[in-house]
Amino acid sequence: MENNVALKGEIKRMMVENLMLQVTIEEIGDQQPLFGPGGLGLDSVDALQIVVALDKNYGFKIPNPETARQVLQSVATIAEALTNAPA
Amino acid sequence: MSARVILITGANGGIGLAVARAFLAENSRHSLWLGVRQHRAEAEALAREHPDCCRCIALDVTSPKAWAEAVTEILRAGARLEVLVNNAGAHQDMLLGTMPREAWDQTMSTNLDSVFHGCQAVLPSMINQRWGRIINIASLSALLAPAGQTNYAAAKAGVVALTQSLAKEVARIGITVNALCPGYIDTESLAHWSAEERKAAQARIPMRRFGKPAEIAAAVRFLACEEAAYITGSILKIDGGVY
Repeated sequence: MENNVALKGEIKRMMVENLMLQVTIEEIGDQQPLFGPGGLGLDSVDALQIVVALDKNYGFKIPNPETARQVLQSVATIAEALTNAPA
Repeated sequence: MSARVILITGANGGIGLAVARAFLAENSRHSLWLGVRQHRAEAEALAREHPDCCRCIALDVTSPKAWAEAVTEILRAGARLEVLVNNAGAHQDMLLGTMPREAWDQTMSTNLDSVFHGCQAVLPSMINQRWGRIINIASLSALLAPAGQTNYAAAKAGVVALTQSLAKEVARIGITVNALCPGYIDTESLAHWSAEERKAAQARIPMRRFGKPAEIAAAVRFLACEEAAYITGSILKIDGGVY
């Protein structure tokens, strides 16, 4: 569980830095939608940057748009995908 | 311009070689990768002249696998790839009414699919760097759409549209994407023309002469430099005033 909390923190930091978000890490909720109403307000270009950053930082490849839709829902779903990814 | 890692496709041709020479003249600390396929003698000669900063790399621009391998090799060598010049191209001119399907497919693949594959291959590293320059060599044919070039003109017009669309996608990541539309440039593609054909063509050019490969290279070099950071999605024709 602690690892998962740390991982979510890393993901948030990665998003704030890579996407140059105007919010702090603390302001991003684990379950907060990344896209759409009530969310962080990310768009498809942000999604592309997250996909590239996940590959660079974790070696985690998102092979197609459908997987991207499933994984990139929130910080929590990204952390879950990274945790469940084969080593 | 500070030292950059630069990949030029179609580097054995007149424009490709001129682009390579322009970068070499600008900064001897650039790291140049000359993408070549079957014809490579002149590119290899240039690489031998500049062994510290210039090398050839096998690259079939129509193959996504070849692109992935080439980019992996470049990143393994230097961890960066900052400038891509999509210069490889070929034309098979004929009337559409008698054009074999292969001439259409090959022209699309070499001139348009190649740019798609190349941009897709280099984007991850450019996104990571938050800096990149993609310069696509289109053609005046994309704008003039001459008879006998339905395949080539359509492919190059596709390059123009791809350039403008991709430029919007990656603008805020620090990556610029621009295209050049050269007119008649005095390269190997005009070498088989007779003196009469050259004269007739030059008569249609307001400047009354063909362009030099170095004049295309100068524009490429400019678009790759820091000072061109605000130029993206631009289509620059270099044609002696034809269009």
